[in-house]
Amino acid sequence: MKAMLFLGLTLAISLLASREFLSMHRPDEIFPSQGLTASRMLSDYFPALKSTPGDTPVYVYEGKERGGHILILGGTHPNEPAGYITAILLAENIRVAKGKIIVIPWANASGFTHSDPQEGSPQRFDIKTISGRRWFKLGSRVTNPVHQWPDPTIYVNPMGQKLAGVEARNLNRAYPGKAHGNLTEKVAFGIMKLIKEEAIDLGIDLHESAPEYPVINAIVFHENSADLAALAQMELQAKGYEFRLEGSPPNLRGLSHREWGDEAKIKAILMETPNASHGRLKGKPSISLIVDGQDKYYERASRLGRLFVPFGPEGIPLKSRVGRHLAGLNAILKSLTELEPEKLVEVENMPDAAEVQARGIGASLR
Amino acid sequence: MRYIYHLIVLYLTGHLIWSLVREKKFWKQAGIAMVLIMFLLRLFLIE
Ligand SMILES: [Zn+2]
Repeated sequence: MKAMLFLGLTLAISLLASREFLSMHRPDEIFPSQGLTASRMLSDYFPALKSTPGDTPVYVYEGKERGGHILILGGTHPNEPAGYITAILLAENIRVAKGKIIVIPWANASGFTHSDPQEGSPQRFDIKTISGRRWFKLGSRVTNPVHQWPDPTIYVNPMGQKLAGVEARNLNRAYPGKAHGNLTEKVAFGIMKLIKEEAIDLGIDLHESAPEYPVINAIVFHENSADLAALAQMELQAKGYEFRLEGSPPNLRGLSHREWGDEAKIKAILMETPNASHGRLKGKPSISLIVDGQDKYYERASRLGRLFVPFGPEGIPLKSRVGRHLAGLNAILKSLTELEPEKLVEVENMPDAAEVQARGIGASLR
Repeated sequence: MRYIYHLIVLYLTGHLIWSLVREKKFWKQAGIAMVLIMFLLRLFLIE
């Protein structure tokens, strides 16, 4: 009798927990701007992704006049919010007069359906917008194991590099992808196909990393984009943004900034901003840590000289990280035109970095 | 692979329910129930 009671209780708790878990499978909403010219799915480029958890929306903004073709990726790592919030901000604001911009806000869609185990991270965080509080998912760095399982002991990526097993689910180790590979490799393959079919000239992958990680506040560039990155860095410096330049190491395979450049011959750039909620030195994980970015342990680590970015009591809030990405994008687009005038991309209503810093991200979101 | 995984979890879930029914001590039953929640979630692949 007592056992039955326990069994009932167990079922009830399981039901409640499953509702919470499964809510992660509902995609976040997005309200693309009037400038949207086509709304597609990645499976339109690579049909094998159709009705898989790897399929993801692709937003196209094409100008009336010809110009450069740019691909902007957010959510390669779904636990790096500044990357995908910047992509969403672009998708909801821009109009393109010349050239073409393609935005993929949730590149690894499966990674958004779960969160990293044993991290205690919140499943969502909120930003105040003009229409109230808007919630965004915080996912995991890697594909959901429910969608791709089991991990191999050692993962050999499409370029033959040997990595730890869990990296089999890391989109940024899976390029140039495999048509018949695992789900993550298929997503990478789909993005490669998009790059080729849309004749992309420049791909930009938006990320975040921990403040104690050396590649931070950085522009990582493929060697074919060295001049572009250097010019953008000068442009940013003039505006008061410090960015480090990091060349893509030639023997680090499977990453966007390596394989986009090697395989598709496009200019390839990856940007990193510092995210305390991501790091190992953080205190209690919370929504505030993601959005406001204040953490006393990081502050202390900074005083002890252990970090690669300044970290004061004001922290590094999401709006400044998104602002950095926006400033970076702006500088890169401007530099591209200086180097190759025929690749001009004219964007109207581009969210302004300083304005996002001053008025918050929500002011440019619905 | 997925079926093998399901079978393993189902087998262990069955054992847990069996021990829950046979166990007499309250706190031990409560403990088994807690573990059972995880197994049920796993069984239905809720992540
Ligand atoms: Zn990343």
